[in-house]
Amino acid sequence: MVAIVTTRQCFLAVTLGVGLAIAGQVVAAPEIGPLPVLKVNEARAELGKRLFFDKRVSGDVGVSCATCHEPENGYANKDALSKGYPGNKHFRNAPGLINTAHKKVWMHDGRIGTNLNDVTREMITEDYIMNMDMRIMQERFKQDPLYVEMFEAAGLGEPSNGGVRKAIPEYLKTLTSRGSPFDKGTMSASAKRGMKLFKGKAGCVACHNGPVFTDGKAHNTGVKENFDVWLDPQRHQAFIAYAAFMGIKNYMNLKRDPGAHLQKHAADGSDMGRFITPSLRELKYTAPYMHNGMSKTLADVVGFYNRGGDNDRNKDARIKPLKLGKTEQKDLVAFLLALSGEPLTSSKHVWQEAYPVEYPVIANWLNVPN
Amino acid sequence: MGLFNKAEQKVPILLLIITVVVIAMATMAAVTFAMGDKPPATASKVSLSPVPVAEPTQPQVETFVKMADPEIPPLAPLGPPPIPADNPMSDAKVALGKLLYFDPRLGGDASISCATCHEPEQGWSFAEGISRGYPGTVHWRGSQPVLNAAYYNKLFAAGSTPSLESQAPSAARGGVAGNGENDIMEARLRLIPDYVNRFNDVFGEPWPTINNAWKAIAAFERTLVQRDTPLDKYLLGDKTALDDQQLRGKVLYEGKARCILCHNGAFTTNEKYYNIGVPRAMRWEEDGLAQVTFRFEQYAKGTTEEMYRTIKDDAGLYYRNKNKWSMGKFRVPTLRYTKYTAPFMRQGQFYTLEEVIDFYDRGGFDEEGRTTSFPETKTPLIQKLGLSDEEKDDLLTFIEALSGDEILMDKPKLPPYKPLFTRAELQTAQVEK
Repeated sequence: MVAIVTTRQCFLAVTLGVGLAIAGQVVAAPEIGPLPVLKVNEARAELGKRLFFDKRVSGDVGVSCATCHEPENGYANKDALSKGYPGNKHFRNAPGLINTAHKKVWMHDGRIGTNLNDVTREMITEDYIMNMDMRIMQERFKQDPLYVEMFEAAGLGEPSNGGVRKAIPEYLKTLTSRGSPFDKGTMSASAKRGMKLFKGKAGCVACHNGPVFTDGKAHNTGVKENFDVWLDPQRHQAFIAYAAFMGIKNYMNLKRDPGAHLQKHAADGSDMGRFITPSLRELKYTAPYMHNGMSKTLADVVGFYNRGGDNDRNKDARIKPLKLGKTEQKDLVAFLLALSGEPLTSSKHVWQEAYPVEYPVIANWLNVPN
Repeated sequence: MGLFNKAEQKVPILLLIITVVVIAMATMAAVTFAMGDKPPATASKVSLSPVPVAEPTQPQVETFVKMADPEIPPLAPLGPPPIPADNPMSDAKVALGKLLYFDPRLGGDASISCATCHEPEQGWSFAEGISRGYPGTVHWRGSQPVLNAAYYNKLFAAGSTPSLESQAPSAARGGVAGNGENDIMEARLRLIPDYVNRFNDVFGEPWPTINNAWKAIAAFERTLVQRDTPLDKYLLGDKTALDDQQLRGKVLYEGKARCILCHNGAFTTNEKYYNIGVPRAMRWEEDGLAQVTFRFEQYAKGTTEEMYRTIKDDAGLYYRNKNKWSMGKFRVPTLRYTKYTAPFMRQGQFYTLEEVIDFYDRGGFDEEGRTTSFPETKTPLIQKLGLSDEEKDDLLTFIEALSGDEILMDKPKLPPYKPLFTRAELQTAQVEK
C-alpha cells in the first residue's frame, strides 16, 4: 500500500502519531520533472566560481568550499563524514551542491531555510567548517587585484563580505543538472520500470518529489548512527560544539545525531533523528549516502528502504518493508542513476587558474586611500 | 592625515594657554602630570610646544623631579603580583594553566598556542616587530611579553582589557591571533581525560569550561614574574648589586634622561598613555599581508568610514575611547626584563635598547628623523636629552639591571584526546534509540 499525501498532512500525521489513518485524503505529490531554468548573472557567477575554489575564504587558508564539495563527486565528497576545518573534522556527510540553488531549505537538519546567502555565510564563518572572520576575508580580497576587478565587473563595488555572499550563490545557480536520461527521455527499460516503482510500490515519491526530488521536509527514516562521529574526538568535538550552540539538552551525553530536533526541540525528543529529504539527482557521483554516509552504494540505500529502515523509535510510520524483489531493486537503482546528468567538471564550472601565493603590496600605500 | 578638522585644531592653542596658566601656578604641575594622557605642565625650562623642540635644552629635571616628587613613585623592589579574589592561586591550577598555555588546541585550527606568540625563548614574547599571527595572517602589533604581565592593571599595548583572565580569550579568539571560538575550544578540552580530571579537581565542576581555562592560564601567568633583578637586590640593601656605571645610569634615569617621569614605581611604569613620537612601522608600506591586517584592524576596532580610508598608523588608545586626543597614545610598558624582549615599541620599531635610548635622546625621532603620525598628541614630556655617548652607555647598563637571569621553561608534554564513549556504549545506545 502506498499512501501519497500532501507534505503538510504527512507532517501532521507524523506529529500526531496517527500514522497513515488518513487514506481518504490522499492527493498527488508535486510532479517529478525537469528543473526550471535559472537566470544567471554571468559576471557575478564567474566571481562566485573563483571564490568557491579559493582557500583564502577560510580562516587559516587551509580549505576552500571545494575541499568538501568536490566537482568530480557531484560537489559532494567521497568521505562518509566531511573533512571540516583543520584542527577538527565534521560529523556529517557533505551534501552534493548540484541543484542546491533550486532548494528552499538547506543543511541536513534544515536549520537554514532562508536563502543561499545565509547558507554561504554560515559555511564560511562556522568554526568547525571554515572558521573565517569575514572582515579579514574582505580585506584579503581588496588586496587581490583580480578580485577588485571582478567585484567591480559583477556590479558589487569593492570586495566586501556581502559581495561574497551574493557571488557564491550566483555561481551555485550554474550548478544545475542538465542532460540526465530522465530529463532527456532516454531512460532504459529497467529505469522506466524503476520509475514506476518509485512512484508506486516503493513509495519514494511521497517525500522525494518535485523537480529536485525532495519535499524539503525533515523525516526520520531510521538511519543507523555513524559511530565515527563519537569515536574520533576531532569529529566529536565539532558535534559537541554544534549541539551546545544549538541548545540541545544533555549534549555531552548525546549518542545520536539530533538532526532537525533543533528546529522545535520537542520536549519528549520525538523529533530526534529527522533529516531533510535529500535530492536524488546526481547520485551517480555523490556516494556515500545519507546524512552520515552510512550507505556506501545506491543498492545499499534501496536495500535499507526495502527492509523498512533500521530501528528508531521516532521512525516515520511510512517507512515499512517494501517487499521488492531483486529485479525490482535493480530497476529502482537504474531509475535513480537515470537522474544523473553530465558531470560539471569543466572550466565552465571549475576555476582552473592558479591563485596568487602572496598578497601584492599596495604601492604608494601612504598616499592612496585604504 | 585628514583626521583633524579645523575646530579640533583649536585644541592645541587652548591647551597651550592652559599650560601657561599651569606653569604660573607651579603647584598644579604635578596634578596635571598625574593625569597622564593630558599634555602635562612641566617645569619652566621645559618647552611648551607639543611638537619637538628645535634645539636641545638642558632641562632642570632634577628640579622637576623634586617638585613633582609626591606624584612620582620612586623605583622600588617588586613585590608579589596582585591576586584577584575571584581567582585564587593553587599549585594544581597553575600546573593546569601551564599545560593550557602551551596547548595549541586552544586556538582555531589547533596549530598555535599562547606560547607560539609568547615564547619563553623569545622573552615570553615574539622576536619580530609585528607578531606572526594566526596562520594565513600576520598580526599588526608586536607580542607583549607575558613575563611580569601579572603586574599590569590593563593588558594589551593600548590597555584594552582589564585582567589576565580577559586578555587570554581576547588573544585566543582574535582573528589575527588565535582565531578560536569558545564552543569548539571548550569541546576539545572535554575530550582530553587528563584535563577533565584536572579541571574537576581545580574548579569542582563536572566538565572543563572555557572560562575556567582562562582562569587557569591567568594563574600560571601570575607565576611568571621576576623579582630578583640587580635593581631589586640593590634596593633591598645589597649595595654591591649595581656597579658604579649602573649607579651613574640610575642618576640619569631619575634625572637628565627623564625616564622616571613615566617609568616609575616598582613596576617601572605609571601605566598611563602617551604619544612619545614612535614612527609608523615600515612594514605596512612593504608587505601586502600586513596591509590586509592593517585595514581589518581599523574595521574591527570601529572607525569611521573616513578614518578607515585615510588612517596610515596605529591610533592606539583612540580605538578604546574614540577621543581624537588619544590618537597614537599607548600605555607605558615596564622596562623590566627588556634585556630579553627585543624588538621594542608597539610594532618593534627599534631592535635594540641602544636605538631606544637614541630615539629618546633625539626627542622622539628615529635616526632618519621620522616621528609620530599624530604630532598633535605627542607629549611635551619627550624632549631632546643631550646625552653624551658615555651617558647613554651608563643609562643602558642601568636599564639592563632591570632584568635578571633569563627565565626559560621546557614545553610540557600535552595530554592526548580520548573518545568519550566506547563502541559498546554506542552500540547500546543504537539498539535503544
